[in-house]
Amino acid sequence: MEVVVAAAIGVLTAAGVWLLLRPRTFQVIAGLSVLSYAVNLFIFSMGRLSIDKEPVLEAGVPQDLMHYTDPLPQALVLTAIVISFAMTGLFLVMLLASRGLTVTDHVDGDKGDV
Amino acid sequence: MALTFLLALPFIGSVIAALLPTNARNAESTWAGVVALICVVQVALLFPSVSNGGVIREESLWLPSVGLNLVIRMDGLAWMLAMLVTGIGALVVLYARYYMSPADPAPRFFSLLLAFMGAMMGLVLSGNLIQLVFFWELTSLFSFLLIGYWHHRADARRGARMALIVTGAGGLGLLAGVLLLGHIVGSYDLDAVLASGEIVRAHPLYPVMLVLVLLGAFTKSAQFPFHFWLPHAMAAPTPVSAYLHSATMVKAGVFLLARLWPVLAGTEQWFWIVGGTGLCTLLLGAYTAMFQTDLKRLLAYSTISHLGLITLLLGLNSPLAAVAAVFHIMNHATFKASLFMAAGNIDHETGTRDIRRLNGLFKVMPITGTLAMVASAAMAGVPLLNGFLSKEMFFAETIYISSLPWVEFGLPVAATLAGIFAVVYSLRFSYDIFFGPLSTDLPREPHEPPIWMRIPVDLLVLACLVVGIFPEISIGPALRTAALPVVGGVLPEYNLAVWHGFNAPMMMSLVAIGGGILVYLWLRNPLERGRIKRPPLIGRLDGKRVFERTLAGANGVARWALRFFGTNRLQSQLFLLIGVSVLAATLASWGRGVSWGERPLIAVSPIFATLWLVGMAGAIGAAWQAKYHRLAALTMMAVAGLATCLTFVWFSAPDLALTQLAVEVVTTVLFLLGLRWLPQRIPVAVPMTRRTLLRRSRDLALALFAGAGMATLAYAMLTRPFAQSISPYFLTRTLAEGGGTNVVNVLLVDFRSFDTLGEITVLAAVALTVYALLRRFRPPRESLQFPQQQRVLPPELVTDLINPRTAPDTALGFMLVPAVLARLLLPVAIVVAIYLFMRGHNESGGGFVAGLVASVALILQYIVAGTQWVEAHMELRRSRWIAIGLLLAVVTGLGALAFGYPFLTTHTAHLQLPLIGELHVPSALFFDIGVFSVVVGATLLILTALAHQSVRSHRESAHSGVP
Amino acid sequence: MIAWLPHLIVAPILLPLLTAIVMLLLGDRRRWKAAINLGSSALGLVLAIALLGSVHSHGVPAVIGVYLPSNWDVPYGIVLALDRLSALMLVLSAIVGLCSVLFSLARWDRAGVHFHPLLQIQLMGLNGAFLTGDLFNLFVFFEVLLAASYGLLLHGSGRARVQSGLHYIAVNLVASSLFLVGAALIYGVTGTLNMADLARKIPQVAQADRGLLHAGAAILAIAFLTKAAMWPLNFWLVPAYTAASAPVAALFAIMTKVGVYTVLRLWPLLFSAQAGASALFGADVLIYGGLATLLFGTMGLLASQHLGRLAGFSTIVSAGTLLAAVGFGQAPLTAGALFYLLSSTLAISALFLLVELIERSRQAPSVLLADEADELPFPPDPLQPAHDVNLDDEQRVVIGKAIPASLAFLGLSFIACALLIAGLPPLSGFLAKFTMLSALLNPLGLGSPGAAAGMSGAGWSLLVLIIGSGLLSMIALSRAGMRYFWAPQDRLEPRLRIVECAPIVALLIACVWLTVRADPVMRYAQAAAESLQQPSQYIDAVLSARPVPNPPALTTIGEGSR
Repeated sequence: MEVVVAAAIGVLTAAGVWLLLRPRTFQVIAGLSVLSYAVNLFIFSMGRLSIDKEPVLEAGVPQDLMHYTDPLPQALVLTAIVISFAMTGLFLVMLLASRGLTVTDHVDGDKGDV
Repeated sequence: MALTFLLALPFIGSVIAALLPTNARNAESTWAGVVALICVVQVALLFPSVSNGGVIREESLWLPSVGLNLVIRMDGLAWMLAMLVTGIGALVVLYARYYMSPADPAPRFFSLLLAFMGAMMGLVLSGNLIQLVFFWELTSLFSFLLIGYWHHRADARRGARMALIVTGAGGLGLLAGVLLLGHIVGSYDLDAVLASGEIVRAHPLYPVMLVLVLLGAFTKSAQFPFHFWLPHAMAAPTPVSAYLHSATMVKAGVFLLARLWPVLAGTEQWFWIVGGTGLCTLLLGAYTAMFQTDLKRLLAYSTISHLGLITLLLGLNSPLAAVAAVFHIMNHATFKASLFMAAGNIDHETGTRDIRRLNGLFKVMPITGTLAMVASAAMAGVPLLNGFLSKEMFFAETIYISSLPWVEFGLPVAATLAGIFAVVYSLRFSYDIFFGPLSTDLPREPHEPPIWMRIPVDLLVLACLVVGIFPEISIGPALRTAALPVVGGVLPEYNLAVWHGFNAPMMMSLVAIGGGILVYLWLRNPLERGRIKRPPLIGRLDGKRVFERTLAGANGVARWALRFFGTNRLQSQLFLLIGVSVLAATLASWGRGVSWGERPLIAVSPIFATLWLVGMAGAIGAAWQAKYHRLAALTMMAVAGLATCLTFVWFSAPDLALTQLAVEVVTTVLFLLGLRWLPQRIPVAVPMTRRTLLRRSRDLALALFAGAGMATLAYAMLTRPFAQSISPYFLTRTLAEGGGTNVVNVLLVDFRSFDTLGEITVLAAVALTVYALLRRFRPPRESLQFPQQQRVLPPELVTDLINPRTAPDTALGFMLVPAVLARLLLPVAIVVAIYLFMRGHNESGGGFVAGLVASVALILQYIVAGTQWVEAHMELRRSRWIAIGLLLAVVTGLGALAFGYPFLTTHTAHLQLPLIGELHVPSALFFDIGVFSVVVGATLLILTALAHQSVRSHRESAHSGVP
Repeated sequence: MIAWLPHLIVAPILLPLLTAIVMLLLGDRRRWKAAINLGSSALGLVLAIALLGSVHSHGVPAVIGVYLPSNWDVPYGIVLALDRLSALMLVLSAIVGLCSVLFSLARWDRAGVHFHPLLQIQLMGLNGAFLTGDLFNLFVFFEVLLAASYGLLLHGSGRARVQSGLHYIAVNLVASSLFLVGAALIYGVTGTLNMADLARKIPQVAQADRGLLHAGAAILAIAFLTKAAMWPLNFWLVPAYTAASAPVAALFAIMTKVGVYTVLRLWPLLFSAQAGASALFGADVLIYGGLATLLFGTMGLLASQHLGRLAGFSTIVSAGTLLAAVGFGQAPLTAGALFYLLSSTLAISALFLLVELIERSRQAPSVLLADEADELPFPPDPLQPAHDVNLDDEQRVVIGKAIPASLAFLGLSFIACALLIAGLPPLSGFLAKFTMLSALLNPLGLGSPGAAAGMSGAGWSLLVLIIGSGLLSMIALSRAGMRYFWAPQDRLEPRLRIVECAPIVALLIACVWLTVRADPVMRYAQAAAESLQQPSQYIDAVLSARPVPNPPALTTIGEGSR
């Protein structure tokens, strides 16, 4: 399983970075969201992987990391998700505004290179 | 306190002068004069305490923690310079009062003059090297402003800037040198430095330090090759030139050499560098001066050569020469100041300074003529004048020097040659303009200047005569006092007599005078006729051009560097950012390597693998299609997002899954609202040039690197056994003290609620930004049109359905059925939201998810029922929601303070309610309500702000008539 | 009655937030908002000064206030820590913030909605970043201040702002992702987020994990250095700062310093000389990166004509100087750098405000010509020149042009800023550079032997670059100043308003104060630097903090608390 998750992170990152380096605003924002998936998964994976160990306490289960997965990275990811959501919204509006003020959707506001 | 007062007075005076009204030149000049006079008297009164080696010293703490204190220190040398600065300053003020025209803005002139005087005083009275540099740079600054006084003239601007840059640069060099000197000595205090000459001269850093210090001195004293700024500084008003460029500023350099003579002098390097520079400057200046046609420029070059003479004397490593140097500093100050003023008088009365046009002025201005001729005789070194004495000493020194044979032979010859030149330019200054037929074509009818413009010249020339005739009684004591500190306490044998008999120096003087007259007669006509444009042989080398070329070159280099090492393109910036971080991570982990751990792995499940095969395909597809098919790309991204979401479910993170899902939905809606405003892109077959190919493969390579890197790091971490994490604490405390079983939620609203507070603040800030930005949003013209689908049905269409374009409520139109469903959905969705919220503390859920669900339900209304209808039927005060949510969160947090607990400490109220029974209400609940409210408000604000655009643009298009 | 004192530490974060909330509730009442904003910023300044006073007591090596929001045991909950460095930064940001608010009241706050709340949120983010002692909480506050800065940068909209804003936001979003990755890696290895706890655990990290740890630290560092505008990660800065409205740009003068602050806070803490196998990790990157930044900024200064760009590049110069100086990890040098940080931030902030007034005061748009080329025809000369008037070489009347008072004010302020930035006497810029250079040459204090003879090449190049950049800045600024103020046309007297001049004067007076009272400030900076170089004080202070104990459950009232 670990290898799959790592591979997933890798592919998401690669796709995101590739998109970030493209000249069109939409490509960049797409890259940012794909990258945020990768980053969220990455943070999540810092708590290692474990199945059926939700960090929701149940009676009679000893409260340690053997029986529950690490809750902290999940909390961090939650915060990260919220913030990246907000930033995606902002950037979307930014690129619309830039599109409205400049004739093109190129990241540098000029016709630029294709 | 005497010295402190002495130093402060000019600055105070300058401030007051600056505040006087523009046209009050009498008040101004009187005030400035009074200040200067007080200073003169002050300094003069201090003579007894500094004569025969006394030192006055006043220290006040400034920056003791780094060994920098304000030390005001006066010894003989400082006293002499202070006398010159204040005395000539007073005369210049008097002179300027009549020289400057009534319309000239007086406050600026006199306040700058006083400020400069203060800076100069500070320089000579510094008892601390850093403090010396401090005032050194101040003199550069004020001279810059004074030279640029008539700043509407390009030559004034240019001259001022040249002076500033050359002397300022030297000053910075001096700073470096002084720092090294202080490091060598172990203190910046002057007395300490003067005491440790041997250590300094023996130190390995001595040569570097010497060069840096000399850089400062030479630039300031206009020594070759930095001399070029001085002639251009002549664009300043004549009083300024008379003050700065004869007596004070240019003397700062040689003052520094004399000041540090006991410490730095006495080495080979000193002899060759200082002596050599001095000699070159002496000859070059004198030679160039002969060919000048402008009175002030002639004086400027002669000043250069005299400063060269002083430098040369100081460079000879002989105490006697040092004494001569000090002597010549005084003499030159007196006669050169008077000459500048005389030149100013002539200029002021005739309207020109061109030697070729000025002739026979003696007839009309005899007194000025006499004064000028006496002064220039002093400059030429004619007997019975002060210039003669110091020049004799100089000649003597050149003869009695013991060095390499060619030096012993060459130096006297060079000295005599310089003497000849000096005689020539002195004659040009005096004889040439005062005798012969009176020139007729002058801009003005020449006559004597007003008496008060002559008084200063009178006094100075008188001084020249007195010193020249009765040296011992007039100047002897002062000279001894001034020279004592320079030679380090032991005065050499010398005799200030006018007549030493027919010795070699006398011969040299006679040769110089005789030769000078001959050369003058030979050069006279060609110069008069203007046949000699620029000095022969060296006319080509022009410091100004080199200087400006250098500046231009520097600018060019800078522009190139900016282009080459900088960029404005976003792509390059992001490439650099990501590339650098990949590089940094690689290098950082290189030596130690990233190894796999031995944590027992979970067996790969085929389903999960397939899920991610699809997910990766989605990501790659999105990357592939994002350019031309945005909607397709969006869908494929959603696939990847879904895979992420399921991963969270799979690995026991229900909260994450829930949140991710909700965020996915909202983000997608956002994108759909936004896509409409982006230009349509038709795939065009662009020929793949080599550049594009190169760039794309470069980007691809970086992308693959980054991906591989992240995968490696993730895998390395996943395969490691667990670190000694702080997490068990949360598991054990959640129920007992956090009052909930869902650890993640308790973390958000309790353990790390401070993070959450910041997080919702971010949401709020972003929402506000979006709103503010969209208020000014101007959609591009072509996207003002209706979407394709709406354009197909013509406006005049007759149908039983109402044209949605004109309908206030879309639900009356063809959207009737879905709209009704959506409205029914609203209460359901709200219930779901409340459910998610309530269970949050114990099961997966919570304020954030609930908020998103609620806002999704609401945005659904917008989508199907149309903006107008929704806003007509329900009032959504979005920013109010945000504010109240934040307020709730903060107030909940502050509540804890009331019980003496830190901010955001949670309390649980145990309430006994009828029917329901005991109810635990943790204060975290209210905090979570705050989160909910902010999320709803922010999300709606962003979404609706976007949604409004179409309404507005439709309205606009309706008005502007775009179909 | 509650003892308020311990809670003062969290006040710099809550005060701006509450202010922003109140403003949002107020709706469109601009005057009210302005008044509240001004008042709250002033209060914030007082607060910051009070906090500074509370941590600075002579003799005592380090007084560190620790606050535990949510009241949990130390390495587990979030920690706010207030030491000399953070107090200093609090005061600085409060001063700059107040001045920019004041300036904005003249006209800028009308240029768009929500200016005032966003500015307060920006201050909240700054203060939070200066106070927090938790790595992830630092990320959150970075996001707060960035989110607000996006809004402020775009304030007033317009093509230039949106365009540069797009770049600024894109770069910062990527940087934030890097921050997350780095922080996550560090947590994955050490299992903690508390800075002090990290400092304690890093030396014990297993050899096998050190590669991961360093990778994380490196990625994190890139995020910080992007904020601190280190070359080659700083190309976003100049366009953004030039496009931003004057008060915002003035406030941004401290934004790059946040990056420098985080480096100052984390680097000596996590990778101090005692950090075992990770000791002084990455020092060279700081030094050489700083030098490169300094060089790049200087080149930029020399190449720019427009005042705004000059200010922008001065920001880069100061960032480079600071990074390089900090990289040496010597207490005296760091102290000098702190002094320089104060002086340069205030000066650059003043310059950004000044630029707007100067630009407005010229009727003609700024002409980018060489000085020689900007000749304008003289006023016609009288036929018979009055007798006591001087003539120039072409016998034209030469009369000095009087400078109108307001223009004189602008000119003097510009000279002051130029001197401060170029580090020339008589203002604090000179003292700052002198202290840094002196410390560089005599790391063991003046008079103690050794050092400079065996000074590293990096040391020499820093010395040369600091002095050289001073010269080149002087050249560039004098050129600009002469073009703007000495250009020969008789211009109209610009109309200035008190609220616009007051902040500039205030900032410059602050610099004068720095010059006159240099010694106490310097001692403070030295104390701060000392405690930075001995992280143990910070670590002990934070780790020894205990949450408020629970009282016996007061079930009678029904109020139970932990």
